[in-house]
Amino acid sequence: MKLYEYQAKTVFSEHQIPTPKRILIEREDTSIHFEEVGYPCVVKAQVLSGGRGKRGLIQVVHNEKDANLQIKRLFEIEPSMKHLLIEEAIHIDKEIYVSITVDAPSGKAVLIASESGGVEIENLAVEHPELILKEEIDLSYGLMPHQARHIAYQMNLSTNQTKAMIQILMNLYQVFIKYDAELVEINPLFATKEDTLVAGDGKIMIDDNSMFRQPRFAQQEADYSSEAAYEASVEGIPFIQFDGDIGLMCAGAGLTTTVYDLIHYEGGTVANYLEFGGPNYKKAVKAMEICLKVPSKVILIVTFGTIARADVMAEGIVEAISKLKPDRPIVTCIRGTNEAHAVELLRKAGLTPLFDTEEAVRTAVRLAKGETL
Amino acid sequence: MSIFIDQKTNVCVQGITGSEGSFWTKHMMDLGTHVVCGATPGKEGQLVEGVPVYHSVKNAMKHHKIDATMLFVPPKMTKDAVFEALDAGIKKIVTIADGIPLHEMMDIRVRALEEKAFVVGGNTSGVISPKEAMMGSFPHWIERVYKKGSVGVMTRSGSLTNEVTAMIVEAGYGVSSLIGVGGDPVPGARFAEFLPLFEADPETNAVVIIGELGGTMEEEVAEAMMNGTFTKPLVAFLGGRTAPKGQKMGHAGAIITGGKGSVQHKIEVLEKAGAKVADRPRKVGKLLEELGVIKK
Repeated sequence: MKLYEYQAKTVFSEHQIPTPKRILIEREDTSIHFEEVGYPCVVKAQVLSGGRGKRGLIQVVHNEKDANLQIKRLFEIEPSMKHLLIEEAIHIDKEIYVSITVDAPSGKAVLIASESGGVEIENLAVEHPELILKEEIDLSYGLMPHQARHIAYQMNLSTNQTKAMIQILMNLYQVFIKYDAELVEINPLFATKEDTLVAGDGKIMIDDNSMFRQPRFAQQEADYSSEAAYEASVEGIPFIQFDGDIGLMCAGAGLTTTVYDLIHYEGGTVANYLEFGGPNYKKAVKAMEICLKVPSKVILIVTFGTIARADVMAEGIVEAISKLKPDRPIVTCIRGTNEAHAVELLRKAGLTPLFDTEEAVRTAVRLAKGETL
Repeated sequence: MSIFIDQKTNVCVQGITGSEGSFWTKHMMDLGTHVVCGATPGKEGQLVEGVPVYHSVKNAMKHHKIDATMLFVPPKMTKDAVFEALDAGIKKIVTIADGIPLHEMMDIRVRALEEKAFVVGGNTSGVISPKEAMMGSFPHWIERVYKKGSVGVMTRSGSLTNEVTAMIVEAGYGVSSLIGVGGDPVPGARFAEFLPLFEADPETNAVVIIGELGGTMEEEVAEAMMNGTFTKPLVAFLGGRTAPKGQKMGHAGAIITGGKGSVQHKIEVLEKAGAKVADRPRKVGKLLEELGVIKK
């Protein structure tokens, strides 16, 4: 789970990582205390997608009139956005990159830093890998101060800033551990003209498998883009909404992704990605209920389960159809443990079960285009 | 022949008394797996499918020779169970748990490397050599998927593996051994680490890897082919070609960060190393034919 910038910065502040003065506002807020940050200040959209600067979602303003104009504009172009952050403007001397993430092959964490931070860090990593510094961290010992010093002394900072940097790195590692993070990142970390360091942005990604012990950021309905997305999340069903024609109700992350590919090869489009395999294989009714909340022309069900038995899934689908009476065609391709019984159940319910994934995809694409079979 | 497990491998089952543990122990034994003992704290003295149960792996070791252990243990308890097995000196461990916390999986990976042990999983169906033995939860009786043959399979997926393997069988091939490394971002063992075993196995004529976007496991396979560690024909199927960038679709491990990890990058390095890459499951069999792999 990815946190918003304002949440990450709250966590940073709690761990003595310096952040700019800021106010968090909601859509309904009318009286905003701009004097707390002063002018000029920066109005920043709180959305989870990257590249905010390039998309015009971060604006520097010089007076209240402009600030209110930008606030109105940003809430308009991001209709599902709940919050805006207004921050003091920083006198930037230079932009540093810092992150801690996971190195899967070694099983260790890795501290990454560069004195050339900012928006072009990914290009820098490709073109000048020598400018990206790395320190491997063994979780059983944690980040050692000498590692933080070794990085900080290579940033070409003043004595004060170097000291601050060492402390920020040590504290950032505490955040990484405390929040079961996949990634903690400060990009940019501003070196200011006042001889300090300040976190310009903040990214924290919490491991989904650890959410059970991270109740602080358990998601609320208001954070979701749609009712369907919220319900899926409550049920623990992986779900993404797109704007195409075919609703996917598949089992297994790899298989669902492959069906998504096959639909695109056949010229179709996907309305939603929904995966009810693994621990969710008995949730066909709920899964179909969620799928039916998404506008689509056909629902495509593809499974090939082992523990997630085919007959159990077919039973669930038959129950879902009789309960929910779907208003659109359903294409099924259910295979795996006890598949013969599954086919029998689906036939009895009046469906025409298919047995080949590519054929099922082609059928769904044709139905979505309004062709008759 | 097979890799990792055969009928002579003495297998312990941790969590054998649970409903999944006992259910799959029966199926493992039905296939031919030599399950010698089980371990569940507090259940010493019980029998499951005729197999004696002990409080701990170390207790079980006093009475049995154990070569490998299979874990049917919930994700939150997996790190402890894996460390219990490693502390007892076991070098082959399979864990199917889905939902192991990332930082605990990192501890497991580091420890596995230190002990030079294979920890397969989590978030996998396990390891199977059709008509021989298995550690995991495979419906081995489904002929059109688990047919014995000469193609080694390695995968990050569950259902997709059934889909692809069914296509391998449809094309006239069968499977020598199938290793599910699992769909988590930090698997306990990685694709490339099994290549020397497949290379040495006289009954494996080719290997199919079922990968997806994210991570660098497919790149490591390409590297092993380039440096001559692995010389047999290899076909890869990679899902997620059309997945929207930056979107977490598929397994937790399946997210592109920077240039590396994209399906395009994986295809490029695999093809450069001499592998064939399929864009849909059905093509896998055809590509095996193109590489001249004898149907078996």
